[in-house]
Amino acid sequence: MKIILLGLNHKTAPLEIREKLSCAAPEGTSPLREIMRIDGIREAFYLSTCNRTEVFFRVDDAPEEALDRLKTLIRKRGNFRPEEMDRHFYLYFDEQAIRHLFRVASSLDSMVMGEPQILGQVKESYREAVDNDATGILLNKILHHTFRVAKRVRTETGIASHAVSVSYTAVELAKKIFGNLAGKTVLLVGAGEMSELAARHLMQNGAGRILVANRTFERSLQLADLFKGEAIRFDDVEQRLREADIVISSTGAPGYIISKDRVAAALHRRKNRLLFLIDIAVPRDIDPEAARLDNVYLYNVDDLQDIVDENRNIRRKEAEKAEAIVEEEVGRYREWYNTLEVVPTIVSLKEKTAGIIRGELERSSSWLQDLREDERNHVEILLSSVVNKILHDPIVGLKEKTIDRNAKPYIAAVKHLFNLEDEPSKKRSE
Amino acid sequence: MDRILFNIALAGYFVSTTGYLCSLLFKRIFPAKISTWLLTFAFSVHGTALFTQYFLTGQSPVNSCYGSVSFFAWVIAGAYLVFQLRTKTRILGAIVSPVTFLMVFAASTQMPGRGLLPENLQGPLVSVHVILSVAGEALFALVALAGMLYLLQDRQIKKRRLHAMSRLLPPLKDLDRINHYGLLFGFPVLTFGLLAGSVWAGSAWGSHWPWDPKLIWALLVWICYAFVLHQRLAIGWSGRKAALLSAFFFLVLLVSLAVISFNFPTIHTFR
Repeated sequence: MKIILLGLNHKTAPLEIREKLSCAAPEGTSPLREIMRIDGIREAFYLSTCNRTEVFFRVDDAPEEALDRLKTLIRKRGNFRPEEMDRHFYLYFDEQAIRHLFRVASSLDSMVMGEPQILGQVKESYREAVDNDATGILLNKILHHTFRVAKRVRTETGIASHAVSVSYTAVELAKKIFGNLAGKTVLLVGAGEMSELAARHLMQNGAGRILVANRTFERSLQLADLFKGEAIRFDDVEQRLREADIVISSTGAPGYIISKDRVAAALHRRKNRLLFLIDIAVPRDIDPEAARLDNVYLYNVDDLQDIVDENRNIRRKEAEKAEAIVEEEVGRYREWYNTLEVVPTIVSLKEKTAGIIRGELERSSSWLQDLREDERNHVEILLSSVVNKILHDPIVGLKEKTIDRNAKPYIAAVKHLFNLEDEPSKKRSE
Repeated sequence: MDRILFNIALAGYFVSTTGYLCSLLFKRIFPAKISTWLLTFAFSVHGTALFTQYFLTGQSPVNSCYGSVSFFAWVIAGAYLVFQLRTKTRILGAIVSPVTFLMVFAASTQMPGRGLLPENLQGPLVSVHVILSVAGEALFALVALAGMLYLLQDRQIKKRRLHAMSRLLPPLKDLDRINHYGLLFGFPVLTFGLLAGSVWAGSAWGSHWPWDPKLIWALLVWICYAFVLHQRLAIGWSGRKAALLSAFFFLVLLVSLAVISFNFPTIHTFR
């Protein structure tokens, strides 16, 4: 039995290669079903996102052949040249494959480390695999273990809890200041990708109202429509400043458009309620002196970027903890997997001895018939208890070896000494 | 009976404190959540103990110095728990819980008898006076604590550094809310406490306001907080200034109380 993972991701393959696979499946066919049709693949799990494609599967015998067939399928589907396959795909076996899957689901292998989407995508793919009956006992167990690992990483490390984009950092700061954003008013001055994104995130996080101002009132109206907010005239910005709790400014104006005095006046009129100013513009829109006012918190684009950089570092440190968790869980998997190997051996050992007892009782049935029924029972009990006593130590020993993680040679020895090979091979040797 | 309840409450405060410390040490929120429930439990038992003591002995739970300390701790814990319902200020629990524990512990070592008020100073009006004054001061203590956290957090955000400390501290708005409601409730409670004391002094000492060092201190407390509350409500001194002033006044008043108690003869004493 072998577990294999074949895949590519954003680190090993450029977009042109990745997109070939993500749109490779023709209408109406599912890649997973095609994979399951490959001879030798017993269970499979197929994950495809814009950053990665992974096939995780189990084969019982002849893994190389199954793998070749899978590679052929992928090459045909993606129209790859053979050397492209070698260059961009990675291949992991058994424990390495499990480790890779754990890392992927924990977002350790993501482009933005710690991003939360990947776990959802893994779960979604797993659901699809279950719906298609593509997973069995082993993969079900492994995938559930994967979800547990991802959850541990998420709760026990800070890998996901530090914003690594400017717009999310703005939201995080707003929450540090206001706690709850409900009922807060956002004033968006000027337009731009970053500022609009920040405004959108703030609204998604509960901010109540948005005022939009732009040089051209037309554009204000458009943006207001987009955000379901209120368009205001550019000249009214200073006037309406007092209504805003959070101001995002990103105009192309050459000088300051919001002066310290204006901020002070607005602050006075809003009874010193906290005010969060985000100046994304270069050159700056808001007089930096405004930061000296009490209850005013002013951040420019560099300040936000500094926090982002620092958060990236924190995430990297947290990732080390996460890797340790993954390693620990791979160890747990190994233990479990070893018991999985031991159990069938013990079962077949017991079956074999039970068969021998049955056979011997049958051969002696002629003289056994002369005995009374309770005497016959005694003989049967005697036989099985002798056999069980003999088997007891080897079975306990095997289980202990499992815990020591070096059961394999012992399992092989037991199989060999007791001749526990499967039926077909026995016939061949005869 | 009330002794047993006190000890259960004390144990509750202790376990809760341990939980908060674990939470800080291992950087997990879960122990702190448990601790909040433990604190709630200990607070309820403590409250029951205070009532039981009153009903069993017929004596006010605050007629001794230690009783008042224990009551002070009870109010702080209760006020924090009320705020915890509406704000994200769990870290405050990590301070309130050990403070409560230490105060109740100190009170419990000297619980029976010692520090009892003289016979002639006991009476329902005295109890009302002590309960209201202590409750008001406990609220101000919590306000001061929130104010200090506010100043720390304000500095972090102003300096544009979001370090681990900033993450640990509550949002500014929530701390400011504690300042607002703490003053809003604490001030009238204290005022009525002082009035009750004054009425009683009129009948017992013959003067409603004997000019005694401790009473001057009490008047100072009242004026300081009247000023903060006025600035807050009428002038709009919310946020940093309110936090700064509340924390500053509390510390100054605390120090001056210590100085007065140990250096000046006063009629207003438990000894």
